[in-house]
Amino acid sequence: MDPLLSGGIGLSEILIVLLKVVVAFAGLMVGVMAMVWFERKLVADMQNRIGPNRAGPFGILQTLADGIKLFFKEDLQPERSDPFVFKLAPYLALVPAFLVFTVIPIAGNFSDGQDGVVTLFGHETLMQVADPQMGILFVLAMSSVAVYGVMLAGWSSGSKYPLLGSVRASAQMVSYEAALGLSVATVLLFAGTLSTNGIVASQAGWRWNIWMTLLVPFVVFVIAATAELNRPPFDLVEAEQELVGGFHTEYSSIRFALFFLAEFMNTVTMSAVIVTLFLGGPSGPIPSGAPGWVQDFLLPLIYFFAKLLVFLFVFVWFRATLPRFRYDQLMDLGWKFLIPLALGWFLILTAIKVARDQGWNPVVAGAVAALAVVVGGLLLRSSIRAAEDKDFDAVDPADLDGAGA
Amino acid sequence: MGQYLPIFALLVLAALFAAISFVASRLLNPPRPTPAKVSPYECGIVDQTEPPERFPVRFFLIAMIFIVFDIEIIFFYPFTLVYAELGGFGLVAIAIFSAAVFESFLYLISNGALDWGPAKRLRRSRLASMPARTTRSTIRRVGTEGREVPAGEAA
Repeated sequence: MDPLLSGGIGLSEILIVLLKVVVAFAGLMVGVMAMVWFERKLVADMQNRIGPNRAGPFGILQTLADGIKLFFKEDLQPERSDPFVFKLAPYLALVPAFLVFTVIPIAGNFSDGQDGVVTLFGHETLMQVADPQMGILFVLAMSSVAVYGVMLAGWSSGSKYPLLGSVRASAQMVSYEAALGLSVATVLLFAGTLSTNGIVASQAGWRWNIWMTLLVPFVVFVIAATAELNRPPFDLVEAEQELVGGFHTEYSSIRFALFFLAEFMNTVTMSAVIVTLFLGGPSGPIPSGAPGWVQDFLLPLIYFFAKLLVFLFVFVWFRATLPRFRYDQLMDLGWKFLIPLALGWFLILTAIKVARDQGWNPVVAGAVAALAVVVGGLLLRSSIRAAEDKDFDAVDPADLDGAGA
Repeated sequence: MGQYLPIFALLVLAALFAAISFVASRLLNPPRPTPAKVSPYECGIVDQTEPPERFPVRFFLIAMIFIVFDIEIIFFYPFTLVYAELGGFGLVAIAIFSAAVFESFLYLISNGALDWGPAKRLRRSRLASMPARTTRSTIRRVGTEGREVPAGEAA
């Protein structure tokens, strides 16, 4: 809960809220521009090319130039499209992308049991736009709303390729959301709160969830997040070779720009969510003798952005390195591997935590739970085998129309 | 509800940004549609049917199975917040609940609900077992009225 908004809300509180919102908005826009440039430049380096180098120093204004160009392009509405839904879809993609970032803590001192409260213009507040109690649920809710943007864009275009792309996208995003949610549940087990500020505070003093949860939920989350973002190697949604441009094939001009913006903004915010959940957000070693602004703002911001940059780099690295999955491989990985793994890991950690609380032997409890999970895994394996052995598409020749004619 | 005020403010700001940039684009370059521009993106002849008419039923299956798992996750979240108070009872309850959901998941998988792509074993073409079906008996020839039919090609 943000102490700023817990009491009465007067003019000064509203002004601080507006300041935060505008700074977050501007920061996100600049961040997205930088991310597009970073991705193009880095992929170019990895492919032994130069990349954008004309607009501004090192081509850093390339995204801005592209954006301005898109403003001057003709905005077309295909004749077969559904007019209202076609116009609504870009908004449904962009607005959730903005909103996810509101719950990300980007600074504040979390060392020595402090809860990250800073003083801004004489008011106590948190260095995040909002801190609702259900913080992390809000992230999941917004990523669910983003599915509607993609789905409706493809459905309303009245064209073949966007429809195929959007149906693929929604099935993919929905499948990996289950794995995403299950690995978040493991983090919540350790944090004991849904508030993002509380999750970061629970990781203070190097108790980062990445090793507290023994790495597996982190790996599941990163893979599921990559799929959720429709980024390579899970970019079947816009597989150029088969679907032209995927769900936004029929979009042009500024509407296309909004989809593009949403896509990169989601990459940035999802990296920030990973940092918040698993790497302790802005927390890190803070010398106690330092002045207040260094403790509250400078060092946490540096830690947060350093961690963020690691994941942005990793996402670009994935793109430059890994070939695209086939659709059945994608679905098998999500449903038959990541979801059972995340579920099993959650149960093992729950057993260990409860055993510690109850004074049972945690090793025995963990071993029993692990045994149960292994049995479950073997059952899963035999189920997959059973499905492979059945021939569901077999047709009785007598049923064939005109057989033997 | 005061905690949600900034979220609402950013919602308004983001929607305004999208709306204003849309209006700006309209003013800077008003659309001048022509039949070629507004036709669907297509390689060749435009399809006669509406695309949203049908898509594979597997996608519906995925959506339904997802709901089962989403409900499981929704029950997990409150459990993670109160498991300390529930103690051993909570652990047993969550184990039974997970087993129940997992069992239905196994049923779905063993029935091939989550299988994608081509069948694992290639079946022999049925044409091989039906010598009566040839290109001559299955392809309808049109436009042959009043023409000389080459010897041996009479249907």
